[in-house]
Amino acid sequence: MTNKLAKLIFYLGTLISLVLFLALTFDTHRQIQTLTHADQLSEQVVAGKRVWHKYNCNDCHTILGFGSYYGPDMTKVYWRRGSEGIKAVIRSPEKFTTWRKMPRLPLTDKELEDLVAFLQWTSEIDTQGWPPQDQKLRGAPGRAVTLGVSPGAVLFQEKGCFACHRLYGTGGQQGPELTHVGSRLSYETIEKVLTDPRSTNPQATMPPPMVSHEERDRLAAFLAGMK
Amino acid sequence: MLLAYSSQRVAYPYFLVALLLFLLQVVVGTWLALSYAVTMPQWLVDILPFSTTRAIHTNLLVLWLLLGFMGTTYFMIPEETEREIFSPLLAYLQLTLLVGTGVTAIVGFLLGWTKGKPLLEIPFPLDYLVVAGALIFLFNVGMTVIQAKQWTLIQGSLFGGLVFLAVMYLFNLPFYANLSIDWYYWWWVIHLWVEGAWELVAAALTAWILIKITNVPRELVEKWLYVELGLFLFTGIAGTGHHYYWLGAPKYWLWVGGFFSALEPLPILLMVLDAWHYIRNRRAGLNGRLIFTLAVGMSILHFVGAGFWGFAHTLPQINYYTHGSQVTVAHGHLAFFGAYVLLNIMSFYYAMPRLEGLAEFDERRGTLAFWWMSITMMLMTLAFSVAGVLQTYVERVMGLGYMTAQAQMRFWFAILVVLGLSLLGGVILTVVDLLTLRPALAGAKKA
Ligand code: HEM
Ligand code: HEM
Ligand SMILES: [Fe+2]
Repeated sequence: MTNKLAKLIFYLGTLISLVLFLALTFDTHRQIQTLTHADQLSEQVVAGKRVWHKYNCNDCHTILGFGSYYGPDMTKVYWRRGSEGIKAVIRSPEKFTTWRKMPRLPLTDKELEDLVAFLQWTSEIDTQGWPPQDQKLRGAPGRAVTLGVSPGAVLFQEKGCFACHRLYGTGGQQGPELTHVGSRLSYETIEKVLTDPRSTNPQATMPPPMVSHEERDRLAAFLAGMK
Repeated sequence: MLLAYSSQRVAYPYFLVALLLFLLQVVVGTWLALSYAVTMPQWLVDILPFSTTRAIHTNLLVLWLLLGFMGTTYFMIPEETEREIFSPLLAYLQLTLLVGTGVTAIVGFLLGWTKGKPLLEIPFPLDYLVVAGALIFLFNVGMTVIQAKQWTLIQGSLFGGLVFLAVMYLFNLPFYANLSIDWYYWWWVIHLWVEGAWELVAAALTAWILIKITNVPRELVEKWLYVELGLFLFTGIAGTGHHYYWLGAPKYWLWVGGFFSALEPLPILLMVLDAWHYIRNRRAGLNGRLIFTLAVGMSILHFVGAGFWGFAHTLPQINYYTHGSQVTVAHGHLAFFGAYVLLNIMSFYYAMPRLEGLAEFDERRGTLAFWWMSITMMLMTLAFSVAGVLQTYVERVMGLGYMTAQAQMRFWFAILVVLGLSLLGGVILTVVDLLTLRPALAGAKKA
């Protein structure tokens, strides 16, 4: 190795890498607008991002896989829990956590709405199919929705039922799988459970869903149809 | 008199503060592992959440490593330029400013004052004080070098690396509305630091100390330094792409990031071979062997932690499953330890005896501390890795819930608490030894 060659490696190596990197950065800026649906980056979403920073959520939860690993990843949390599910956890984390705790954070109602908007926007970023464990979720509610074009299915996702229950094998572990619940329980029974879970089973640990009468009936109709 | 220039003394308080912060960092690290292993009561989590302690752990790390680099730079620059530091007063002022900012930031974290961006939590306007501290430093070092009017490659690499480092921090200052763009530039700070700017600083400091302790010809060292720097920048700049696979950026980053970052271990390997070669062919009669042990140990663990553990999850096919898991933590710990913690420890062991006026010192405690810390850190890395592989398999491959995977991993965090305490022991020994160096016992050892 001559001195000249060594210097050449230094200058050429640096230059090639730098030029390539800057060119791709330029192009990324253009494409990222579509990949992240930047047109839907509303003021509320940005306000939600500030809330995300304000409470330092990121030093326990990863988002896009970055941050700390103490709690679950938040990239697709909107798919997993829906807006009501997310709000419920933040309002009373002690009800949803077991042996690893999350702090009770003093978010205002507005902050909570903004944060949910931010997480909903985030869940739509095209992450090339990451994280692997959440990809199936896209299918489950989607499938339920197309099955009956059911408003109940949408509520099932938005009200956070997925936090504890599974449909087609995806969802939380605390509650029973509900894919075929319609063949086990009648519409009336399901309606009772949704009004007050303890009315059919005094030991039930499920919290009564926060739904209006109308929403409850739609949910019951959807679930009764899951045979 | 072992000090060629009296202004080299400004390095001492930098080292002192760095060592104390290192100690604190590791205490907090053990607390983090404990938070993973046991159930913390809800009331405690409400007032001292994991997020706060994690921010403290990582910010202390960055702060003390940078103070260490700065102290070492102040120690080295007079010898390289053959003149006193431009202004020792500014050096003390800068230290006061940076430590004051750091302490304020940490108290602020405890009170919930944060920018909320991992590793870069220091909020406005403290982040601007950090920039001010960095500017004072660059000015002071820059003036010394300019007035000396003799540039060496080592100086160039050191100064270039420091400027690069400071400039990259600027990308942390704005607020980015788009989350993906936010992370895109977050990595300009984090990745281009540890796999770019800091590597330049490390290569320069290592080359300088190796010349000093082995007396190999400077031309030889500088020739290979050019090659190393070139390879670091060639692989490291475009290699930033290994963080762009899943953040909403175009698909070509899978190719670019994968290709360039897969080559990143090469310059690190070259550094290992270099250090080994210079030490084998040394021409100096320097007493003591601890500094050589540190130089070799550092370069090997740099390679294992950054090169090997980094390569292990850098290809997109693997990163898809390991991204953002405890595998990342395993790599983060060994890479930082091998590359930058040991570099600082080596620099301290080179500079401290000279600052204390000791030609030879008793190396037994220091040697023990090196092995103790290194073996413990290796075991910690293995424990994090086992937890990470479990997590990857249970959560990502099998698709079971997050907490289901955590339950499987819990045992390994209990092990990590024990290892953390052991590391703490090693760190205490290092700190105590460096602050109370004793003359070598007559006839106790000879290299
Ligand atoms: C001394 C040099 C290095 C240090 C100190 C270092 C440190 C780190 C740290 C702390 C992280 C985690 C950042 C976070 O998300 O919070 C990280 C991530 C990563 N590093 Fe390094 N690293 C070094 C070199 C390397 C090298 C040479 C490679 C590749 C060959 C590499 C590959 C990676 C990859 C692929 C990730 C992302 C992991 C993920 O997807 O979660 N690193 N590194
Ligand atoms: C007592 C010893 C230590 C223990 C038990 C420990 C434990 C931990 C834990 C549990 C985390 C949090 C991971 C998460 O975000 O979920 C962490 C983060 C981190 N620690 Fe340590 N640590 C220790 C010492 C060190 C040392 C000596 C270094 C530097 C070499 C270090 C560097 C880091 C870094 C860079 C992170 C961020 C990791 C990432 O984002 O991937 N730690 N540590
Ligand atoms: Fe990187």
